[in-house]
Amino acid sequence: MLIQSDELLNFLQRCRDRSLGSYRDVYCPVWPAARDSPHAILSPLRGTDRPALDGHRAVDPVKLLFYRVRERVAPFRADLAASLLTGIKACDVRALELLDRALVNEDFADPAYRAWRERTTVLSFDCTDAGPTCHCTLVGGKPFAETGFDANAARFGDHYYLSAATSKGEALLDLVRKNSRVDTVHNTIPAAVEARRAEMTAKVQKQSEAFARSDATALLRSAPPEGWKEESAACVGCGACTHICPTCYCLILNDESGPGDFVKVRSYDSCQWHGYARVASGASPRPRIDERFRHRYLCKLVTMKAEFGTLGCTGCGRCTDACPGGIDFRKAVHRLMANAEGGRPDAAAR
Amino acid sequence: MKPNPYDAIPAVITETIDETPLIRTLRLRPERPLAFRTGQFIELGLPGLGEAPFTPSSSHFISDSLDVTIMKAGFLTDHIHKAKTGDKVGLRGPFGSAYPLEEFENRDLLILGGGCGLAPLRSLFLTLLDEVHRYKSITFYAGAKTPQDCPYKDAFPEWRKHPKVKLVRAVDVVPPGETWDEEVGVVTVLLAKLDIDPSSSPAVVCGPPVMMKFGTRDLLRLGFREDRIYLSMEKKMYCGIGQCRHCLMGGYYVCKHGPVFTYAQIKNEEGLWD
Ligand code: SF4
Ligand code: SF4
Repeated sequence: MLIQSDELLNFLQRCRDRSLGSYRDVYCPVWPAARDSPHAILSPLRGTDRPALDGHRAVDPVKLLFYRVRERVAPFRADLAASLLTGIKACDVRALELLDRALVNEDFADPAYRAWRERTTVLSFDCTDAGPTCHCTLVGGKPFAETGFDANAARFGDHYYLSAATSKGEALLDLVRKNSRVDTVHNTIPAAVEARRAEMTAKVQKQSEAFARSDATALLRSAPPEGWKEESAACVGCGACTHICPTCYCLILNDESGPGDFVKVRSYDSCQWHGYARVASGASPRPRIDERFRHRYLCKLVTMKAEFGTLGCTGCGRCTDACPGGIDFRKAVHRLMANAEGGRPDAAAR
Repeated sequence: MKPNPYDAIPAVITETIDETPLIRTLRLRPERPLAFRTGQFIELGLPGLGEAPFTPSSSHFISDSLDVTIMKAGFLTDHIHKAKTGDKVGLRGPFGSAYPLEEFENRDLLILGGGCGLAPLRSLFLTLLDEVHRYKSITFYAGAKTPQDCPYKDAFPEWRKHPKVKLVRAVDVVPPGETWDEEVGVVTVLLAKLDIDPSSSPAVVCGPPVMMKFGTRDLLRLGFREDRIYLSMEKKMYCGIGQCRHCLMGGYYVCKHGPVFTYAQIKNEEGLWD
């Protein structure tokens, strides 16, 4: 179905005011009050906010909502209030798909993550712009989501094409249909959407061209040690990259029990920190910064791929933006792959 | 719906046994029975202070009471050493893989361990003794730094009486003033006297990383098969379920796929002995 952009915005605002639907919270990337800020931040939508539904991804990864920086996991009482998360882009939807596999699987379920996922409807938006570090096409992604969302809004001109992929998404679109002016004649993706998507894809491809490499990322294992030392030379081991990465979910578990109850709180940890894997005896498998740096790259591009069938990098570019050492993830992977045996882009083609 | 993996089973300390100046055994009574298989580990938490992985040191045939032997090594374990009878702790688990007892059946088994590694091995040993008719013989080589660092002092003479058991201890050094009438040297020196057939016998190794590294090397030289050398690996583990990712070793989670691995499984993993 088609809806005008103002009409959709108005719908979301009415949901936020609770005059429509039963969403207690509506989360959305918003432009901060300082008008010149280039960073949309993910936040509960308030009356005065300017939502950033289009453009590229927000500065905050979606895990900030689903997998909080610090969160009590035991005893755990689920909050059941429905919420609507909107305006997130394909790279973050893809991160959610990975976290779904990592955190709710046959072995265990993280209680807080599962509860968040169950009560939240995700309305993703196509990218209409690429940030300078965006590189989803390099990691097998696209600047629009094809799976993983409940409903999706694809912009063309001053309209959106809305589609649903789950029953939660259907319920949302029902609500739209009943309360907004929509054109329900169009039930397939309009050609204009296809054209705009192709244009956006080409744009990301173009800005990623210089970092092209073979897809056989497992070859990174054989990149020579000097390569890792060179790429990590500017790394200070701060952990900004892992904290901002939408797919990193390493945790520290704290015991915060009082008399009579057993309370466990998890918070983010970072594999870039020295204490991360250090055991009580003081031994650490990765005492040097270049070893920890390598561990992160291998985790994203080799281990997670083997574990979840998808790369641990969704190409959002956040780690590059956040790094105080100015390390560009794309560039580092490109060079490391070129130095790994058989990892040159042309080697893959041969 | 799956149970919350972070919920703890409350347990009461019913006894504390100071094995050595640094090693203490807690006897625990969980509020609900905690059935583990020997080799698996649990997370033991002191309310308000923290939680760490430990392998029970008692037989897995006993589930209403559980021994955990703990070496003083830092903040949490210092507090564990101060805990008193009647104190409450929280237990989660059991987690991970167990020793494959069926693979030991009708065989001569070698157990090689040192230091804090003796805790899981005591569990294995006691579990084996409970069904000793299943096994041909048990050779248990136990190492410690000095005579006073040997845990389970009172138990050794008892264990030794068993006709199927050959138990030898070695200490690295005997400081002046201490007496010792068993072997002196790192525990692997005992392997020179081994009188079982390496090609058909399983071996279980647990101890500090260096000991495991050289122990494994020596076993391979003697002719033990890679897939019959069982290693109990130790890595940092917060969650026990493969979520926190700290124990990741190559493609394996030590908490989920281990802690018991065969050497054949993990010989190529990076940071194996670190
Ligand atoms: S590794 Fe960097 S670019 Fe890739 S998903 Fe994580 S933060 Fe984004
Ligand atoms: S953000 Fe940059 S400096 Fe900080 S740990 Fe990551 S790579 Fe190193």
